[in-house]
Amino acid sequence: MAFFLETLFGGLMAGMLYSLVALGFVLIYKASGVFNFAQGAMVLFAALAMARFSEWVPLYLGISNAVAANLIAFVGAAVVMFIVAWTIENLVLRHLVNQEGTTLLMATLGIAYFMEGLGQSLFGSSIYKIDIGMPKDPMMILDRVFDGGIMINQEDLYAAIIAATLVALLSVFFQKTATGRALRAVADDHQAAQSIGIPLNHIWVIVWCVAGVVALVAGMIWGSKLGVQFSLATIALRALPVVILGGLTSVPGAIVGGLIIGVGEKLSEVFLGPYVGGGIEIWFAYVLALGFLLIRPQGLFGEKIIDRV
Amino acid sequence: MATKKIGDVILDVKNISLSFGGVKALTDISFNVKEHEIRAIIGPNGAGKSSMLNCINGVYTPQQGAITFRGKTFSHMDSHQVAVMGIGRTFQNLALFKGMSVIDNLMTGRNLKIKSGLLMQALRLGPAQREEEFHREKVEHIIDFLEIQAFRKTPVGQLPYGLQKRVDLGRALAMEPQVLLLDEPMAGMNVEEKQDMCRFVLDVNEEFGTTIVLIEHDMGVVMDISDRVVVLDYGKKIGDGTPDEVRNNEEVISAYLGTSH
Repeated sequence: MAFFLETLFGGLMAGMLYSLVALGFVLIYKASGVFNFAQGAMVLFAALAMARFSEWVPLYLGISNAVAANLIAFVGAAVVMFIVAWTIENLVLRHLVNQEGTTLLMATLGIAYFMEGLGQSLFGSSIYKIDIGMPKDPMMILDRVFDGGIMINQEDLYAAIIAATLVALLSVFFQKTATGRALRAVADDHQAAQSIGIPLNHIWVIVWCVAGVVALVAGMIWGSKLGVQFSLATIALRALPVVILGGLTSVPGAIVGGLIIGVGEKLSEVFLGPYVGGGIEIWFAYVLALGFLLIRPQGLFGEKIIDRV
Repeated sequence: MATKKIGDVILDVKNISLSFGGVKALTDISFNVKEHEIRAIIGPNGAGKSSMLNCINGVYTPQQGAITFRGKTFSHMDSHQVAVMGIGRTFQNLALFKGMSVIDNLMTGRNLKIKSGLLMQALRLGPAQREEEFHREKVEHIIDFLEIQAFRKTPVGQLPYGLQKRVDLGRALAMEPQVLLLDEPMAGMNVEEKQDMCRFVLDVNEEFGTTIVLIEHDMGVVMDISDRVVVLDYGKKIGDGTPDEVRNNEEVISAYLGTSH
C-alpha cells in the first residue's frame, strides 16, 4: 500500500509538470485557435534565457545573493518572453488574420525552428543549470501509518505547488475576467471579434506573453530538474497526449489530463511493466491519447464540436 | 413611423469604387444615411451590397472614395477602429462565438466599454465587480428585449438558426452602436421568424434611436420597414429614394423588380 501511494504521489507530481507545458498549448489555442508548435521551443528559449541571466547577474551586476539574482534573472527572462511575443505578433500573426488554422499552424512550425536556433546562438548551446534553491532531499511522510513512511521528492512537491498555483490563476483569468472572455471570443471568430471592437493584435500579444511566462515557469522547473539543454524543446511532445486527453480548449482539462498521464505512466510502469519487460512509461501516454481520440476526440473537457450540416 | 424624428446626415458615402483584380465590385457609389433612419441597400445577387457594407465596416478598403462618419472623413479604417467609433454590425453568414453561452456572447459586445484593468478584474476588486454587474444588467436588458431569456446559458452553437441570428443582433446591440449595419438579417428565415426580426429591427430603431443600414433580399420586408432605399446593380447605383420612389423607378423595375409591378 505504501509503495502504491508512493508511486501515485510521484505520478501526480510529474503529471503537474506535464500540465504546465500543456497549459501553454491550451492558452494559445483558446485565444487564437492555433495549435502552437513553437511551445517547446519557447520553453527552451525561456529556460536558456533564465539560466544564462542567473549566471550573468552575479557576474556583471555583482549581486551575490542567490535569491535576488534568481529573481532578477526571472524578471529578465520574462521581459525576453514579452519581446518574443510582441515580435511574433508583429512579424507573423498580424499578417495572417482571418487565415485558415492550417496556415497559422505552419507558421508556428517555422517559429519553432527559428526560436530553437536563435535561442542557442544568443545564449549558447551547452548544458546549463538553473538553481532556484529547491530542496533536493527526499522527505518521508505518513511514517506513523506505514512502516517506513512514504518517500516524497521535495523538489517535485515544490514544483507541483508552483504549477498548481499558476494553473489556478490562469483559470480565474480565463473564466472570470472580461479580458479572458475577449480571448475566448477571438479564438472562436477573428472577424466577429474585430467587428465588436476587440483589438486582435493587442489580445494576441497578451496571450503569447502569458504563454511565454508559462513556458518560462515550465522551463525553469524542468531545467532545474534535468538541466537546460536542447532536449528541453522536446518535452512539448510529452505534453501532446495531455492536451489530447484533456481537450485543447480547456484549462482544467490540461491539469486533469496531466495528472492522469503522470499517474498512468508511473503506475503502469511499476505494476504492468514487469509483465511486458518494462519501458511502458515511454509510450503509455501516446497509446492512451490514441484511445481517447477514438472515443472522445474533443478530449475530456474540450468544447463539443457542433457543426451545422 | 411618420412621427419619427430623422436627423442630419450621420454617415456619408462618397464616390466609393472597389475592385478585386479585374472585377469591379463597386463603381462610384455615393449615398448618405441620416440619423435615426432605416436605410436599406437592395439589389440582385452579386450587386455589391455586402461589399458596400464591408467598406463601411473597414473589412475592405475601397480604391477610391471616402466615407464620412459624424463629420470625420476616412478612406481607410480597420474593423476595430470602426467599432470604437460606434458602428456595429451583424453578419450574413453567422459569425458568433459558438462555444460560448448567449450571455458571454453578448458580454463580449460590452468589451469596449469595460474600463477596469486586467488585475482588477482578476482579483474581482470592488470597482471591477461593480462594473461587471453594470454591464451584465445592460446585457440582461437586451436579452429581455430580444426574448431569448430561456437560452441565456445555452452555448450559441446549439441554438436554432433563427435564434442565432437574434444573438448576433444582440451582440451588436450590446455595443450600443450609433449606426447598426445588418447584413441580410432575415436571410434563410421562415415567415414567422422574419416577422419577429422585423419587429426587433423596428423596435431597436424606435426604442434606442439607432440608425440602421440594412441589406435585404426580401422586397416586401424592405419596402415595409425602410425610410429610404438605395438600389445597386452590377456594382452601380441605379436608384435612391423612398420605397415608393424606388418602386416607380423605371431602371429599378427592369433590373430588379421585374415587370409585375
